[in-house]
Amino acid sequence: MAIASLVSLFGCGQEEPPVFTKVNMATSHIDFTNTLTETKDLSILDYLYFYNGGGVAIGDINGDGLADIFFSGNQVKNKLYLNKGGMQFEDISKQAGIEGNSSWNTGVAMGDVNGDGLLDIYVCAVVGVNGFYGHNELFINNGDDTFKESASEYGLDFDTFSSSVAFLDYDLDGDLDMYLLNHAVHTQESFGKADLRHQRNYQSGDRLMRNDNGKFIDVSEEAGIFGGPNGYGLGLAVADFNQDGYPDIYVGNDFHEDDYYYLNNGDGTFTDHMRTYFGHTSKFSMGNDVADINHDGLQDILTLDMNAEDEMVLKASEGDEDIQIQKLRTDQYGYYYQFMRNMMQVNQPDGSFQETALLSGVASTDWSWSALFGDYNQDGEQDLFISNGIERRPNDLDYINYVSNDQILNKINNTNLVDQEALLKMPSGKVPNYIFMGKGNLRFENKSKTWFDDNPPSVSNASAVGDLDNDGDLDLVVSNLNELVSIYENQTDKTANGYLKIRFNYEAPNTFGIGTKVYAYTNGELQFKELYTTRGFQSTSEPVIHFGFAEAKRIDSVKVIWPNKTFQVLKDVKLNQTLVIRPENTKPLKQNVVLKNKMFEKVEGNLGIDFIHEEDNNLDFLRQKLIPYKISDKGPAVAVGDLNGDGKEDIFFGGSKFKTAKVYLQTDSSYIEATFPVSTKDSIKEDVSALIADLNNDKKNDVFIATGGGDFYDKMKPLQNSYYTQNKDAGFTVQQLPHNFENASVVKACDFDNDGDLDLFVGGYAVTNDFGKIPNSYILVNTNGAFSIADGAYQMGMVTDAVWDDFDGDGFKDLIVVGEWMSPKFYKNTNGKFIETTKISNLNGLWQAIEPFDIDADGDTDYLLGNWGMNTKFTASEDYPMLMYYSDFDGNGQTETIVCTAKDDIYYPILGLDELSSQLVFLKKKFNSYKSFAGQPITSVLDQKMIENANTLQVHTLQSGYLENDKGHFKFVPFMNELQVAPITSFLKYDFDGDNKEEVFASGNYLGVTPFHGRLDAFSGALIKNSKSISVATQLGMNLSNKAVKKINIIHFKDKPYLLVTFNNSKAEVYSILK
Amino acid sequence: MRFYKIMIALLLLSSCKKSEPIVITPNDYHNAVDKVVEIMVHDIFSPPVASRIFAYPNIAAYEIIAMQNPRYKSLSGQVSELTNIPKPKTPDHINFELAALIAHMDLSRQLVFSEDQMTSYSDSLYDIWEHKNPEIFRNSKAYALEVNKHIAQWMNADNYKQTRTMSKFNIDSNDIARWEPTPPSYMDGLEPHWNKIRTFVLDSASQFKPIPPPIFSMEPDSQFHKELVEVYDISNKITEEGDTSEEIQIAQFWDCNPYVTVTRGHLMFATKKITPGAHWIGITKIASKKSNMNFEDTVYAHTKTSIAIFEAFISCWDEKYRSNLVRPETLINKYVNDSWKPILQTPPFPEYPSGHSVASGAASIALNSIFGDDFQFDDDTEQRFGLPTRSFNSFEQAANEAAISRMYGGIHYRAAVEVGVKQGRDLGIFVVNNLNMLNE
Repeated sequence: MAIASLVSLFGCGQEEPPVFTKVNMATSHIDFTNTLTETKDLSILDYLYFYNGGGVAIGDINGDGLADIFFSGNQVKNKLYLNKGGMQFEDISKQAGIEGNSSWNTGVAMGDVNGDGLLDIYVCAVVGVNGFYGHNELFINNGDDTFKESASEYGLDFDTFSSSVAFLDYDLDGDLDMYLLNHAVHTQESFGKADLRHQRNYQSGDRLMRNDNGKFIDVSEEAGIFGGPNGYGLGLAVADFNQDGYPDIYVGNDFHEDDYYYLNNGDGTFTDHMRTYFGHTSKFSMGNDVADINHDGLQDILTLDMNAEDEMVLKASEGDEDIQIQKLRTDQYGYYYQFMRNMMQVNQPDGSFQETALLSGVASTDWSWSALFGDYNQDGEQDLFISNGIERRPNDLDYINYVSNDQILNKINNTNLVDQEALLKMPSGKVPNYIFMGKGNLRFENKSKTWFDDNPPSVSNASAVGDLDNDGDLDLVVSNLNELVSIYENQTDKTANGYLKIRFNYEAPNTFGIGTKVYAYTNGELQFKELYTTRGFQSTSEPVIHFGFAEAKRIDSVKVIWPNKTFQVLKDVKLNQTLVIRPENTKPLKQNVVLKNKMFEKVEGNLGIDFIHEEDNNLDFLRQKLIPYKISDKGPAVAVGDLNGDGKEDIFFGGSKFKTAKVYLQTDSSYIEATFPVSTKDSIKEDVSALIADLNNDKKNDVFIATGGGDFYDKMKPLQNSYYTQNKDAGFTVQQLPHNFENASVVKACDFDNDGDLDLFVGGYAVTNDFGKIPNSYILVNTNGAFSIADGAYQMGMVTDAVWDDFDGDGFKDLIVVGEWMSPKFYKNTNGKFIETTKISNLNGLWQAIEPFDIDADGDTDYLLGNWGMNTKFTASEDYPMLMYYSDFDGNGQTETIVCTAKDDIYYPILGLDELSSQLVFLKKKFNSYKSFAGQPITSVLDQKMIENANTLQVHTLQSGYLENDKGHFKFVPFMNELQVAPITSFLKYDFDGDNKEEVFASGNYLGVTPFHGRLDAFSGALIKNSKSISVATQLGMNLSNKAVKKINIIHFKDKPYLLVTFNNSKAEVYSILK
Repeated sequence: MRFYKIMIALLLLSSCKKSEPIVITPNDYHNAVDKVVEIMVHDIFSPPVASRIFAYPNIAAYEIIAMQNPRYKSLSGQVSELTNIPKPKTPDHINFELAALIAHMDLSRQLVFSEDQMTSYSDSLYDIWEHKNPEIFRNSKAYALEVNKHIAQWMNADNYKQTRTMSKFNIDSNDIARWEPTPPSYMDGLEPHWNKIRTFVLDSASQFKPIPPPIFSMEPDSQFHKELVEVYDISNKITEEGDTSEEIQIAQFWDCNPYVTVTRGHLMFATKKITPGAHWIGITKIASKKSNMNFEDTVYAHTKTSIAIFEAFISCWDEKYRSNLVRPETLINKYVNDSWKPILQTPPFPEYPSGHSVASGAASIALNSIFGDDFQFDDDTEQRFGLPTRSFNSFEQAANEAAISRMYGGIHYRAAVEVGVKQGRDLGIFVVNNLNMLNE
């Protein structure tokens, strides 16, 4: 024992002392264990939530200023421990009368239900299945350390499948109402339509209970709360998400049922706005928590799921669903986009949420139950605790595939006997809990190994936070399955970091001030908290507000907004104290200003431009199962210019495969759709980039279209680009082009030889059915309006964008090209030959866009670069680049790609055994089980020879940013994290604000990835004024998230500029610029 | 003491050198086939892939038998692209039955995923034979492996490897008539390119292209809709009658779904069974045992039957992905009853025609040609899965029952089983007429 602790002392490193130390039972006298007893009639085979655990509630039940702790147990009696100070507690369960009479308890909540100033206790139960009996119990506090069970008197004696409850005053009438979260227990074999949720199921439907003078009335139906048989409610959070003064509700549902985002309409009803405001959610949603992680005064939400970080677990467990099944679930059955990982939903000024868990570093914490934000180290940033673990992993692939047999099935179906032996073959899912330090800038750092003095593998479910020893910092209480609860004492009081703790003494009956908001300002930085106690999972935390302030001396001001929409401000507040605030000198709150910096406004009617791009149903992953993303969805082409000689700007939109291109002609009153006269017969082509310009010097605009689509291959005709010249009568004539069968990505015009006509660069993107092969790119020289290939084919890389720019100042335009799995490449124009010169090295990215722009305002040209972003399962760095092996690994004449990323110095394939072996059958023979495959580095998955013979493509960075020009030398500077939330695919340079200086509007997102990656949809756009001033578009009245932006153009209509936003597979949008 | 030990060692050594004949019985062949079936259940092969794993090892064994015994004619020149296997260099020192058995086991090992299970089975036999007669064993084994090299080269050119990397089936869920994945696991369509596998006897996968299924229509008067309602009604009727109803017994007896998924919340089970092909291979075993067939005839019977089944799956799969018809479960869930489940789990590929019906039709014709039209037998193939023995008066009767079982099971419409079993028979007759295996 002594040796072990010595080892761990030295092993952990001395530099960082643990933030949390475990309080042992001898000190605390807390001896609660949530012991589960498996019987032949009751196990995970009979009840799917058998391992979900009980609940924890922290609150001062006797008014002595010390937070007491209540535990509910599934099969064991509830326990109440009275806080005696100094981390010592006394078990008063028996005399308190709270041990309970239900046979299966779940969540617990403390709240002053009857408004007498004393915390009452509500305990949920599952009743009516597996022989579970009893009902939800309400223990009313008698004020003498005893309680009286009174659920039926209050109308709260539910005998349903309850998970947890939240107390909130949703109708702002001053008393606490209740939201009851229930969960379905039946087995869902077929999806069933999503609108099942409109039904009302007694046992699994959620309830909203309105408090009418102490009697709770079920108002679920009239309030618009879903009550269907498919609600697997496990997560519940309350907050005023949209800052309208009324509490809103977020419900996390397990399995394929969507999460619900109920916005309070202020008239006693709620409306689910999931699809309006969220891009995607966790699939197997469990617990969740709410906090303002980015100091903008808006509540953000973290929802938990079960994706593992550890390769040994990850590759042996079921992963995300197949892309075709996802399509079926969303398109046919009506469910929303859900993926198997934690989701960090960051609240935006326009009410939407942008999901950043992968960027934030909190996406994968294994089988997770409870999340608790808190400034545990009091440095001014929200930290994050996550409890996790599962007694046995039922999603273990080997278990699923190899252990099951008819005998078990027959027993389950017929005799209800359980094969214990089979159960035991499920691997254990005991894992250490996670804790993350908030780093600001949307990032969290994993501190699980250092912040706890003792963090053993465990199954930890419910957890709650409170200041148990009244030293000002936040302690943690964690309920474990079959093991003693963990009490973690926070040691931050021994550091210099200061705190402020606030309790409320609010008007009865809401005596604890549930719903009160606090805004604390120090040195210009805002911290925001709102008091709701139902947090984490099946638990309530102490009803206090807690802030940390690092080493600040004082708090400039504290603004308290009461539930009744009045507020008061405290100025110059001392640190390291506990304030008890009651309403004093309050003033009515003025209506919130919606958006201060609104700059863009969507134009109703779109100026008549009703173009909808429809992508054809080409699933690249059906053909090349291992490619990292699609190559077929890079359209549509869009170009702006006068196409009929009337001096007005018209618009050309390319079509996808088999869809004709569309032209919108500008008239005096609006844009009117017309068919591009000669393009119908070319409709088989997929147009990905276009330009309108006078290419044959006849003073009339011509059209050049680069085609691709990743569907046609070899020298199939539709891969040939298109070139149309305008006739006298505004008709068009097809012109021949030199043969050039590539999936093109971009065409850019420039008179590079200074002979008075426009020459072209056409970039090649990828080779159909042979992803990883470098395609050809071409320079086309213009001779009297006819194009010929100059200087043969260039093998530049998988090109996505290019720009002509005289980077060496010799008077001739040079060419800069960007693309995927390559560095930005600089080609010097040397008498019409383009010679690559190295300007930057080790900067391979998945580059999507480039734009010359003097971002640092020093007079020279910098280059903005759009990349894949960091909010992705891909990882890359200069030391550990992302690798893509490209080869015909199985020698059947068809190449494959295998993408690998590094975890702790070791490279692993991103995909699992099922995916890899679906293409490389030999792996099925090499790895007889998922366990044998899990944790294998790529060097063990493939033979040495295969790796040696493969081409290796690399990516060094996924960050978007810019090349800073320092006297002709370039340095890459990444953008801030708000611009790394998704790929940036388009830059538009324009003087948006009329200050005679150009700004750049960046936009992006990309959806052509498998459910394993999710949807890269979180970027609303951003206006880049200069390197110091960048605004996210949701602050400016624009939100381009959830859709893949192909390009933004400026169009002039009636002398006014508008933004034309063209999306892949969606309707184009027009925005006006407010100045 | 030490002396004594040496004596024992010497005794053992000398006893090893004493050679005795290696006798191979029909049961040795049955046991090897059973072992392969067991591994296939474990590895989970789809019905078409399973048919391939049965056919090639049988052919390898058969060719060795035909090399030595003039009663049997080589298949070279009779099945696509098969050439004569190499002649043995030392025919006198080879036990051809032993070589045939070894060839079967070794080629089977190459075809399954869990090679180690097959290896440990064959190694245990190799040990015995090595002790009995090392020279004959080693020569026979060497010959078997030489033949397998030849057979494997031919086998590997059948486009199987290429079909592994061909595109996955593209689900078009906007067209209600088209197949889409079914509950509970919504698996992708299996083997969409199986019609590109080289046939043995048929001139092409489409040679026995059946009539198209009834035109899709949800109009109550249409033939298609009537057949849909029939599936639903039968299912309801026999479910009401309970598990003892004859129809449910028949459905379960002929289930033969290699991978049935069961979900319980996060918990998933799969129950694994033999494939339809394996069931008919089992019947082949029952018939050859009942007829007291010798080793050579046992190999012959297995070879002929497995070729017929192999061709049946290519022909059937060709039509499945041509007509691409939606399963009853999808339509009934959408339009009639969203909680209805078929008695059998819907397998993951398009509906028309029924694979079990085509395979059973073809296999029954092959077996008729070997054992006669009125062969009575007791089928205990499914006993290992807890199902009772069923008795049949002919292979035809068994095939008819296997076909209709798919309708009772709620996974096929009537047309798929009636047309399917006919397609299988027509194809089976063609196979039997074009395989000239016995010198009589």
